[in-house]
This record gives sequence, structure tokens and C-alpha cells, in this order.
Amino acid sequence: MEAQKSITSRRIGVILTFASLAALVILFEYCKSTQWTPLFIALGILSLIVLGISFALTFVKSGLWGFTHKALKKLDEREIALTSKNLRYAYAIFSIFVLLLLFIFALTETPIDMLMVAALLLFAHLLPAAILAWTEKGM
Amino acid sequence: MENRKIYNRIGALRKERSMTRVELAEKIGVNFQTIGYLEREEYNPSLDLAFRISDVFELSVDTVFSTKPLKSLSQLLNKKS
Repeated sequence: MEAQKSITSRRIGVILTFASLAALVILFEYCKSTQWTPLFIALGILSLIVLGISFALTFVKSGLWGFTHKALKKLDEREIALTSKNLRYAYAIFSIFVLLLLFIFALTETPIDMLMVAALLLFAHLLPAAILAWTEKGM
Repeated sequence: MENRKIYNRIGALRKERSMTRVELAEKIGVNFQTIGYLEREEYNPSLDLAFRISDVFELSVDTVFSTKPLKSLSQLLNKKS
């Protein structure tokens, strides 16, 4: 029961982190072609706050970020197997996601800016920990 | 390749020796969470780890681990008497 509650709250945290990251990028892309109104600035700041809080609680405080960024010699054999499995999934998901994104950007002839690159880098670093948070009950 | 499930007596042996998961984990050099996974038989240990666990309990590997479901000590005692 406790494990189920924990995994549900971690999944909500993962969704909030990725949703706020996506909102931030979409908002930036939209305002780049139009204009930064006070409402959009407020929404941007709100997304940034949600991203910071959900990242800190779901990834940093839970130790998941540290777990997926630990040196191999500090992990035991089960943890190495788990990290390896998660990295393989993360690699596959990230590759497909970036390919689709590049395809869409190429079709719409939209230039890729630095915020998008930074968001993708953060996404790549978060993905293994997010998969762990989503799938592992005992973490 | 699908791995076979490995059954073990780690939980019973650890409790019999009044050992905590953290203490056992320190003795065999793994994270204490790994002991939980081993006891719930959700993770099959490597041969090296199986030997290290057996050494802590001073028993042979086949006493601690088995590929067939293990009987509890009370079941074994009932069978003998």
C-alpha cells in the first residue's frame, strides 16, 4: 500500500516535471514569434517554479538523480543491472523523441534555438531517473 | 534468455541470527535495498554474491539457494517427526 502510494506520487512528480519543461519550451517558441505579454511572462515564471520544485522533490530529494549519476564502482550488482536497463530504455526513448522533433522542425522549417537544446539536454539527463521513478516500486 | 527464479532462505537465516538488513548488506558489500530484493526473490544474485551470502551464514550455497521452492524449517521438522 505504502509502496503503491510512493510510486503514484513519484509518477505525478515525473509528469509535472516534464509537463512544466514542455510548457516552458512551447511558451518560449510561441512568444518568440508573437510577443512576451505579462500573462505569458507570468506563465513562464510559473512553469519554471513548478519545474524547479518537482525536479527537487521527485529527482533530487528521492535520490533518483544521484542514483543514475553515481560512479559504477559505488553501485552493487543489482543497481548496475537496474541502471543499465534504464539507460537502454532512456536511450531508445530519447532517440525516437529527438528524431521526431527534428523531423517536425525540418518540415515546418523552424530553427532550433538554445532553449530547445538546453531543454533536450535536461530531458536526456532526467529520462533514466524518470524511468526508474515510474517503474521501480522499491526505490 | 529468461532467467530461472532462484529461491533462498536469506530472510529466515538473517532473522535467526538477529541481523538487520543493513548489517547483512555491509558484510556482503551491497546496498541494504538489495537485501530486500533478494529476500523477496525479486533478484537473482550472481555466483560471487551467492558465495558471499553463504559465507556470512557459514552454510553451503545449496543450503541457502535453490532452483526449487524451499520448505520452511517448521515444514521440514514436521516431516521428520
